[in-house]
Amino acid sequence: MATRAFQRLPTAPAGRILALRLVAIVVSLCIIAGVLALSGHSPVMLAELILRSTLGSRFGLEDLALFMCPLLLTGAAVTVCGTIGLWNIGAEGQFYAGAIAATGVALGLHGPVLVMLPLMTIAGILGGMAWITVPTLARAYAGVNEIITTLLLNFIASLLTYYLTTGPWRDRISGAQVSTRRLSVSIPEMWGIVHWGFPVAIVIVVGLALVLSRTRWGYEIRIGGANPEAARYAGIPVRLRIISVMLLSGGLAGLAGMFEVAGTVHRLQGGMANNFGYLGIVVAVLARGSCLNVIPAALLMALILDSGIVMQTQQLSASVILAITGLILFMIAIGDELAHYRPVATTPAKGKAS
Amino acid sequence: MNNPAAPSGMAPGTPPVLQLRGIGKFFPGVIANKDVDLDVWPGEIHALLGENGAGKSTLMNVVTGIYQPEEGEIILDGYGQTFTAPQEAIRAGIGMVHQHFKLVQAFSVAENIHLGWDEAPRLASPAVMEARTREISERFGFPVDPAARVADLSAGEQQRVEILRVLARRARLLIMDEPTAVLTPEETGELFRALRAFRAQGNAVIIISHKLDEVMEISDRVSILRGGRKVGTFRTADCNPTMLAATMVGRDIVRRNMRARPEGAAPIAPQPIMQLRHVSVRDDRGVETLRDVSLDLHGGEILGIAGVAGNGQRELTHVLTGLMARTSGEIMLDGSVVERADPALFAHAGIGHIPEDRLRSALAPSLSITTNMALREYAEPPIGRHGLYDAAAAGMLARDIADLADVTIPDFAMPIRNLSGGNQQRLVARREIRIASRVLVAAYPARGLDIGAIATMLGYLTDLRDQGVAVVFISEDLEDLLNVSDRIGVMFHGRMMDVIDAENADIATIGMLMGGREPTDLQPGGTQ
Repeated sequence: MATRAFQRLPTAPAGRILALRLVAIVVSLCIIAGVLALSGHSPVMLAELILRSTLGSRFGLEDLALFMCPLLLTGAAVTVCGTIGLWNIGAEGQFYAGAIAATGVALGLHGPVLVMLPLMTIAGILGGMAWITVPTLARAYAGVNEIITTLLLNFIASLLTYYLTTGPWRDRISGAQVSTRRLSVSIPEMWGIVHWGFPVAIVIVVGLALVLSRTRWGYEIRIGGANPEAARYAGIPVRLRIISVMLLSGGLAGLAGMFEVAGTVHRLQGGMANNFGYLGIVVAVLARGSCLNVIPAALLMALILDSGIVMQTQQLSASVILAITGLILFMIAIGDELAHYRPVATTPAKGKAS
Repeated sequence: MNNPAAPSGMAPGTPPVLQLRGIGKFFPGVIANKDVDLDVWPGEIHALLGENGAGKSTLMNVVTGIYQPEEGEIILDGYGQTFTAPQEAIRAGIGMVHQHFKLVQAFSVAENIHLGWDEAPRLASPAVMEARTREISERFGFPVDPAARVADLSAGEQQRVEILRVLARRARLLIMDEPTAVLTPEETGELFRALRAFRAQGNAVIIISHKLDEVMEISDRVSILRGGRKVGTFRTADCNPTMLAATMVGRDIVRRNMRARPEGAAPIAPQPIMQLRHVSVRDDRGVETLRDVSLDLHGGEILGIAGVAGNGQRELTHVLTGLMARTSGEIMLDGSVVERADPALFAHAGIGHIPEDRLRSALAPSLSITTNMALREYAEPPIGRHGLYDAAAAGMLARDIADLADVTIPDFAMPIRNLSGGNQQRLVARREIRIASRVLVAAYPARGLDIGAIATMLGYLTDLRDQGVAVVFISEDLEDLLNVSDRIGVMFHGRMMDVIDAENADIATIGMLMGGREPTDLQPGGTQ
């Protein structure tokens, strides 16, 4: 037997993971640059352009914040659910449901902003919760796999949005396609076009991190996710905890939809979720189950999306951005796995390798 | 005794189907098998008996080619064989039916029978496979529905499919690991009929079991393993359950009296803390796993529970700790009836629980040591206040527990699965002892520990007793039971056969009760 040069550790140290992830991103960027060069673009020029128009300009930074806002919330939604060992694949649908509910309030009621905004917020959260209710109860009482149920409801929510925006709620004033009229209420802006939803989302994510690590409820969720049998042994009502976590997760995604409607787009539009729900899964995977990590993960994802806009101005297809996302995720997954390995000093064989 | 001549009625010179000579199998730090000789003759059902960890499964894994022995030889029909893979054992006519079936749940019976079979036709349409399966099923006398999905079958039917799978591959030696563990009594009867028919065709069966009465019913000969070695092979006709139980667990027992109380120890409380009155439990298959058990747990007393594993000990522990609901009877805590099985309520009442499978059910392996140590006290101050969880206080608690358990921990934030099994076990024991202000239910707390650690563990139990806690100590080790218990209850088939005073208990009596003998049959100071 050859002596093994590497040993696999059961847990990877955080520092190694971070270092290897940086390497993974650099490697991905090199591959992307290579492909772009082969297809006749100048990677250096593109990189310069992207940097200047994202991090290097006020508009770019504002866009970045607007992309981050929904990603923070959908990422947190998936992460919270993952803490108890469940996958909420339906943040996209809950996002739409929250957006629809908030729009319904804005279209149907009239009042001062100070009344309307809280009402829309509550409606958005309840909308998201309502959308995950059936998967939640099916999971808690019948053991139905939540991945399938939450996923399938996404399509229904998306189609419902198309129906509303082309049917009963269509814009009769300006005649915009697949859209409601502009809502009269909006979240106030704080910095350029960045609305107050962005700092609120950051506060929510930090708050969730505290709740999970510093409350009894959070403790019970973590135990329930790590070993349901041990949770039962400790007398934790696992079923109730599953219900509360899934509803919270749906509510977070619904809130993301409300923010998008009332802060960024100002209308309900078909397709407006823009994959934010699905990208929330990517954010959660990058965050490795930690709410605080959702912030840098959402930043990375927002940077990619922001770069995508720049690339489209350079006659690159919009699907390039999906390919890039996939490539970076793939490389990071490899990096995470490699972080488990530690080189072993290859001593001359004294005993037999086992 | 180890090399009996061929059974009568067999042509002289007929070799045994299987002969093992001096088999030894070692794992790091463990001798799983050593010097095991075994003969299995055509036309015989041979039972293999032994406690958990006696080396039965390892031995059978050697015979079926899953493990390669370090010592000894395997002789089939008089010819030496080495199996480097399970497939070679199958080709040589050895088939094993595992306790946990290895079937594809989503496939039909016919598909499962043909899976991985080199004689399966190349173009195997469902109709062809079902016809072949029907033919096989009729040939061997195990009725199955070839088109049924395995997931829809009962445990007994699934077992039939497993057996057919093995028989279709022309097995002449069938090895069954705990075949009746998942069967109802009717299904067990059917299985035994089928095994007898198989034997009548000149084939052999090895059946692993620790159900003594079944061994008595079905086997022709019994081999008993203890601590990885064979104690002996006996003709079943010469055996009785009592003698088998005693041989299985029996060894030179050193009696040390740990019942003596130190100065100032709490006396045995006259009022019981917890009472079971005619408690019975039925499992999902309707089998009664705990039958009409009545018990009183007194503070300051250790109640030992003896018995061969699987005779209701698990159910008893779960009922005592609120993890399992009873089907009938009453449970009383401090004289008032507990209506609901609620583990939180029991833990809150000061009932600690060291479960049998502690590493699986009492810990969250991926979470930190601190988090795991807080599992029992996270809801109470100083850790839990106003719905909050104080991580710093949990850290202090974890440090305390680790100190008491004498486990050195480099980093309390690392996942608890990074610790060795023995250390995890000590931490769980200490954590449970902390909350056990009234009762501690300890299931096999010494299992897997070395001798020094066992002494420490028994010391924990007597310390708790001296503090006035009622201790329930479940063990397979009669020596430990006799040394620390004040009373010993013996379980058999879910029944509490008798509760006897440990001071005057003798091993023969306990052995007989473990084998299912009624206490009324026993003479005082009974002999064997």
